[in-house]
Amino acid sequence: MDLFLQALINGILLGGFYALMGMGQNIIFGVMKIVNFCHGEMLMVGMYLTFLLYTFVGIDPYLALPLVALMMFGLGALIQHTLITPSLKTKSFTNLLFLTVGLGLLLSNGALVLFGSDYKSIRTSYSQTTLQLGLVSIALPKLISFCVLIVVTIVLFIFLKNTTTGKQIRAVSQNPVGAEVCGINVKRIYLLTYGLGIALAGMAGCLLTQFYSIFPTAGAGFGFRALIVVVVGGLGSIPGAFFAGILLGLLEQMSALFISPSYSDMIVFITFIVILVARQLIIMRRR
Amino acid sequence: MEDKPIIEVTGLTKRFKGLTAVNDVSFTVRKGGITGMIGPNGAGKSTTFNMICGYYPPTEGKIFYNGEDITNKRAYEYTNMKIARTFQIMKPLKNLTVLDNVIASCYFGHSAAKNRHEAMERAIEVLKFTGLYEKRHVLSKEMGTPDQKRLEMARALATKPEVLFLDENMAGLNPTETAEAIALIRKINESGVTILLIEHIMQAVVSLCEKVIVLHHGEKIAEGTPEEVMNDPYVMEVYLGKKEEQQ
Amino acid sequence: MDIKKAVGVYHRNLLIAIGALLAVFIAIPMIVKTPYIINIFVLVFYISTMSMAWNILGGMTGQNSLGLAAYMGIGAYTVCLVVTKLNWNPWAVSILAMLVTAFIAGVIFFPCFILQGPYFTLVSIAFAESMRQFIINSEFFGRASGVGLPFGPDSFLQFRFTSKVPYYYAGLIMMIAVYAIMKKIDNTKIGYALKTIREDEDAAAAIGINPTKYKVIAVVISAMVAGFVGFFYASYIRYIDPDLMVQAKSTEFVLPAVVGGAAFVEGPLVGGLIMIPLSEFLRANYARVLPGINMIMYAIVLLVVIRFRPSGILGWYMESKFKKFIDEKILKKPSLDVLEQYELMNYGSRKEA
Repeated sequence: MDLFLQALINGILLGGFYALMGMGQNIIFGVMKIVNFCHGEMLMVGMYLTFLLYTFVGIDPYLALPLVALMMFGLGALIQHTLITPSLKTKSFTNLLFLTVGLGLLLSNGALVLFGSDYKSIRTSYSQTTLQLGLVSIALPKLISFCVLIVVTIVLFIFLKNTTTGKQIRAVSQNPVGAEVCGINVKRIYLLTYGLGIALAGMAGCLLTQFYSIFPTAGAGFGFRALIVVVVGGLGSIPGAFFAGILLGLLEQMSALFISPSYSDMIVFITFIVILVARQLIIMRRR
Repeated sequence: MEDKPIIEVTGLTKRFKGLTAVNDVSFTVRKGGITGMIGPNGAGKSTTFNMICGYYPPTEGKIFYNGEDITNKRAYEYTNMKIARTFQIMKPLKNLTVLDNVIASCYFGHSAAKNRHEAMERAIEVLKFTGLYEKRHVLSKEMGTPDQKRLEMARALATKPEVLFLDENMAGLNPTETAEAIALIRKINESGVTILLIEHIMQAVVSLCEKVIVLHHGEKIAEGTPEEVMNDPYVMEVYLGKKEEQQ
Repeated sequence: MDIKKAVGVYHRNLLIAIGALLAVFIAIPMIVKTPYIINIFVLVFYISTMSMAWNILGGMTGQNSLGLAAYMGIGAYTVCLVVTKLNWNPWAVSILAMLVTAFIAGVIFFPCFILQGPYFTLVSIAFAESMRQFIINSEFFGRASGVGLPFGPDSFLQFRFTSKVPYYYAGLIMMIAVYAIMKKIDNTKIGYALKTIREDEDAAAAIGINPTKYKVIAVVISAMVAGFVGFFYASYIRYIDPDLMVQAKSTEFVLPAVVGGAAFVEGPLVGGLIMIPLSEFLRANYARVLPGINMIMYAIVLLVVIRFRPSGILGWYMESKFKKFIDEKILKKPSLDVLEQYELMNYGSRKEA
């Protein structure tokens, strides 16, 4: 029973990261209809940024969070401006797909050149602290990360729902041409969206540094899980992404507990295939 | 002249969740003739069309072709039954040349070309017929609207249809281009192809069609020769603004 | 006949050009004796072949798969397992390998064909990754440590050589054969169906193409080629593990096609011939100091091509003056009208005969 509770808590806490990644991917996919295949690598960049700020400037990872988010936003906006916006014109899905794949290759191999392939980690005074809650123990950094996630989710939800810019983003995701006609600067919204999506991935990376090793391919698993979250949570839905992320974390932990840890990846992928096919069947039935 | 209809539609109905887009529409298309379908925007013309062409399954109703029930046939089975269609929003194969666009069509349908030579011969024949021969080496995405509309027809004709469905083939053309398109449609019809067309442009419908079906709010409100339909009081009421515009 | 003569000259020139190119490739192992260089060419051959396998699905049909490495892995595993456990002849098993990959792609993967666009890409990744995870978790497949092929004396029957040269020629033949198949497909009914589906599935249905049927054909051809390359790879390296099936490998196989020009049958060949030697050169010379430098180069070339030449190197060449010069001055290519008339004329004479 305590094993089950522990897996439950771990699943929820792990799912928080998937949710955060998924929200970023969701905004990008929702607005531009392109899959950002370098999302995992962006998380990795966020991790290294946090690592650099901690080791060379001495900034605590949690204090670095806004800084990392800001820098990642800048990186995202730059990529959008120089690469993605010009390529959107060709309307070639293949090219856009491999553009982000190429970016992912560039980032992960760039990290390999700059930092080498060895695992790095950040150890703060509190990174080993655990809280004992009855039968289960929770690592303090994981708990803090989860609280940050909840705050980010709420802020993002309110931002998209109530602010003018948020409404503009939603308008562009519905119909870019229509939005442009209404006087919305679509290019600016694209810039904002991609920056925001990347900033969210960077934040996930920043929060992850306390209990996850930092290495060039650290983000790969998270990147694909972000896509799962988008598909399961529904396009454009922030609460959907939140719950889908948690659910995915739970699925992983539970299958590890009840079946076998080595099968948990396979179960996640097969579940994803089933969901994709079932979802399409439902859409086709509706027509 | 045969009196038996080549296409017969009975009680066609389509509901999207709560909304009834097409309600109990029945009509027939005479073999060898040109039948037109008109109606204001949102009248359900395109939905009716897409149901007849197998793109949407109808909620209720049946479609007969030469007396055979084809209601549940899939869209890709139509050219095998000698029925071809065009799209309102043109769908040329953008990155292929005009010639390749038509060759692609020649390979399919009831009398599919067996080899490249046969396909090419027929493609060139169709291109000459539709007046696109001179532009055959142009990439189809680089052509203007009138030529793309022509190409739509050429691609449909290359499958050697007996019945041709034209979906707003003259929308967006200027009067000269419209006149050319009308001439082409008449030429196609004279070569023995039965035509059912949806059109906004009254002039085209009046000059081409022997029979007109008027849809409004998803229901058939009138049917008959262009003159009969134009003098129908209800049609006049529905179409009033439009009619003044056209005259 | 004027037309016949002009086309005849063009065909002769074309044949000479192709023959010269072929002669160069045949001569390379006779002149260059370093195994390192030969190895690079073997890489070029099998990666380009994989890229062509991707291209029939991605470039021609517009279905962007990112899981082709898994099919190659399945092919390689089939060969290694059947040869070691049942002692079959590897050449016979290569056919079995193709059948196995065709079955997986055509039957087990079948429900996934209803997915379109980005969702198809996602399902291809997930499907490939599930297969890899399955192999990692299976005792029969040797788990993460992989399986090998028996070593022994050189034998053509066993497709086993200590020298790399026989693999060079085998790889060359494989690449040319697959190219010939792709070129043939491109020009016939299947090719037109696939290209029509790429442009618009509704338009394809309107002229009588069953999109699902032809997508299955494309995926099965692609998987069969990948399965055969798996046989080649296993025989060449003689040892395989599940790392062969990771998604990064799938990506690696796509890059030559995208860089070379995915819309062209020749795209993967051009991309492969340029990119792979460059990448191997960088890896050999700088990888110790700057690991991953070859992939950075790959990524930068990819980004530059997509940003500035979206139709790839071949697409750029097709519109360049350089091609015009070669066509007119060297190959003496007649105009399109003349070629077309020639093609139609040929038909007429064949009909009479």
